[in-house]
Amino acid sequence: MNTATTSATTSTTYFTRPSAVVGALVRRTMLRVRRMPSAFVPSIAMPVFQLIAFSGAFGAAVRFAGIANAMDWYVPLNAIQGASFGAMGVSFGLINDMQTGFFDRLLMAPTRRWSLVVGPIAGSIARAALPILLVILVGFLGGMNVPGGPLAIVMVIVAAAGVSTTASAFALGLTYRMRNMGAATLTQFAIFFTIFLSTSQVPLSSMASWLHAVARINPMTNVLRLARQGLLGDVTWDQTWGGLVALAAMLALSGWFALSGLKSLEK
Amino acid sequence: MSSGSAILHTAVLTRRSVRGRLRQPAALTPSFVFPLFFAALGSASFSRIADRPDFAAIAPSFLNYAVAGAIVQGVLFASTSAAGDLATDIEQGFFERLLASPVTRTSILLGRLGSAMVVAVVQVTIFLAIFLAFGARIETGVIGFIGLVVAGALLALAMSGLMSGLAIKSGSPEVVQGAFPMVFALMFLSSAFFPRQYMTGWYQDVATWNPMSHVVEGMQGFMNQPLNVDQFLRAWLIPLGIALAAIAFGLRSLNKRLAAL
Repeated sequence: MNTATTSATTSTTYFTRPSAVVGALVRRTMLRVRRMPSAFVPSIAMPVFQLIAFSGAFGAAVRFAGIANAMDWYVPLNAIQGASFGAMGVSFGLINDMQTGFFDRLLMAPTRRWSLVVGPIAGSIARAALPILLVILVGFLGGMNVPGGPLAIVMVIVAAAGVSTTASAFALGLTYRMRNMGAATLTQFAIFFTIFLSTSQVPLSSMASWLHAVARINPMTNVLRLARQGLLGDVTWDQTWGGLVALAAMLALSGWFALSGLKSLEK
Repeated sequence: MSSGSAILHTAVLTRRSVRGRLRQPAALTPSFVFPLFFAALGSASFSRIADRPDFAAIAPSFLNYAVAGAIVQGVLFASTSAAGDLATDIEQGFFERLLASPVTRTSILLGRLGSAMVVAVVQVTIFLAIFLAFGARIETGVIGFIGLVVAGALLALAMSGLMSGLAIKSGSPEVVQGAFPMVFALMFLSSAFFPRQYMTGWYQDVATWNPMSHVVEGMQGFMNQPLNVDQFLRAWLIPLGIALAAIAFGLRSLNKRLAAL
């Protein structure tokens, strides 16, 4: 009997349930966070510091654009950025696993290949929970307005979790292909430029020509609109669907990038 | 050992350090790319603010305002990375090989500081050339240009002195890199990226107390105001004062490390 027939007919017998593998990889990510707090603390401290710094330094810029409290503008940005830092952790973790040989053992495991991609991504989302919540908490302490009610916070979390997923999948795809620390650096660059070449600092109406043109077509602008809507007004479908489409498109592309990267690595 | 040989050793170690830095473009690139990117981003994001009548007293355009911040950011990034190289030398044993050679002890530190200053002079010159090409103008002309280059070199001396002291004391590149967020905080809690006049509350108070604000504003003076003594006092004397204290700290750390060997 060939391998394909075996896996088709007896998958429930030979394969470990993917959900169990994903769960184990998430637990492993959290264990790594606990064992190496020095690597995790900056990803909590930086978004909080940036929230305070941006609100303090650039507050006037958003106030002149008609936004009452700078926190309303910068909390979603920093929640998203804090969530995206997990992607670097994914890349570093994978490189470490490749160097120590643990990744080869994972490849030999009797499980679906996609669970090896979903596991680290789920771990990254779990890891992002703390920075996201801390940024929101600091936002409340700083007088953040929430006219959209609890749904406003849900939108911030959805956007941040979506970006965390996309960034982590991108980091995996790149690391599978490059297999060195350069992948983490490139991931950081890609995230940084994607976030900052959008409406990260000021609304579209305040921008000058080239940045306006770039930010207008940058999908991150839609994601930020999705995240910010409930802090600037009501949560509406008009402000939501564009962000969801952008997230779905980025997820599809980065997911394909990660899965094809894993396949190329196996070859 | 004579002071002549100390100068010679410092020059040789400065050259070695500059070469070492040029051989690692990946380490040097962020200190060029990020400041220029932030300046471009800031001038595009905040250009509407420059249209306000009260901004005219600060700078003719936001690009002109952003030049000093970019120079400070670039110099601080590069200086921190230079000190990281010194810590790597200690960690990898090159420092001990230097000690076994007949080289003056102080030149080990001064060579590093010299290279940070050389890199800063080149960096500030490149930055100014790029900004001038994109439409910035230096209100104080050639004197202002020289003022900015010297200010960048002195700031590099101050920051690399502090970080090198830390590198010698700890002998760990991680510790030097771990101190980097402090540099980041020092910049963001100042008027490097946005005018202090538009800040409010405690943030404005912190920025006012932060010496970095005064260094940046001295440099902004060269860019945007008629020439006056205040610009030299703020852009040159503050970094020079910090540099002297930093060199004393570095030499003390060096002596302690030598005594412990």
